[in-house]
Amino acid sequence: MDNFGLVLLGMSCITFVCRFLFFYKNLPFELGEKTKLALSYTAPSVLTAMWVPIVFLSYQHIEQSFFTSPFLIAGLLSILLSLKFKSTLLIVMVSMTLFITLQLTY
Amino acid sequence: MLDVIPVSKNTTNNINNRQLIYQASTAILPLAIAVIPWGILCGSLAIKVGLSPLQAQLMSLFVFAGAAQLASLTLLGTSGALSSILSSTFIISSRHLLYSAVFREHVRNSSMMVRCSIAFFLTDEMFAVTCAYLEKNKSFSYLYALSTGITFYLVWNCSTFVGIVAGQFIPNIEDLGLEFAIATTFIAIVTPSIKRFSTLMSVLASGISVCILSITGIEHALIIATCIGMATGFLTASKDKSNG
Repeated sequence: MDNFGLVLLGMSCITFVCRFLFFYKNLPFELGEKTKLALSYTAPSVLTAMWVPIVFLSYQHIEQSFFTSPFLIAGLLSILLSLKFKSTLLIVMVSMTLFITLQLTY
Repeated sequence: MLDVIPVSKNTTNNINNRQLIYQASTAILPLAIAVIPWGILCGSLAIKVGLSPLQAQLMSLFVFAGAAQLASLTLLGTSGALSSILSSTFIISSRHLLYSAVFREHVRNSSMMVRCSIAFFLTDEMFAVTCAYLEKNKSFSYLYALSTGITFYLVWNCSTFVGIVAGQFIPNIEDLGLEFAIATTFIAIVTPSIKRFSTLMSVLASGISVCILSITGIEHALIIATCIGMATGFLTASKDKSNG
């Protein structure tokens, strides 16, 4: 990898700038109440946009139909568990166990 | 790093600080454990696409962004151009712009050192846990935020290391479906955060649109779906009061 140094430097700068930008003191603009309200929907929206394709669309990459995909079945279990229990670790452990079991069974 | 933590001569404060660090690490620990499979995936994939073990570890040490690292490794594997690696990094990381905007009012008057540290350790998981603390205690704590961030950083780098080692011995580790761990973690973060009707609407809109966009093969599905979700939440916010 000849230009790995550039990849590493570029990625490090981009991720840091994205995380730091609004911490900059003399930013030439302020955030209004409406902007803050809109921002409160960021985390749920972006995280959902990341987990939904894994659960519902991963069957395309494995030799499974939509309904028998371990991603779908274990994903639905995660949703059910998260409605009932608060412990993240419990939800992750139980869902992963079912996922791995299904992966091994098929 | 130590000088960002207010050193107090008062022992009670020291005990409180220690309790806060403990509380913070315990709060993020489940999410940190859940990120282990993801870290292993990143480490082993890096070896598979031809990075040296040192390069693979440096990526987790300096970039510290799971989704961006995974995407760029996939691109490196298909000998993607530098420009496409960097633009995908930007698109995936742009959600952190919004996290940093949320924290702005709480950190803007802190020292450069504190702001840089919080920015460096700002991840989805750190944001979720710190927001929960913020909501519960109605106050922001640098010590709490940094403790969650650093705990997560250590676990992320250790699991990358495990992936680097395992990747050299276990073939096709990336076919195990380790990315499912990402999905179940995010489900566990998102579901309890749905307390308002508008949040539910934003989640549904984002989820449905990301599926449609991905199936139709439109680029940047993640960012477009996120914007649709945010807009939906914002526009339905007025309905919140009538729903309690």
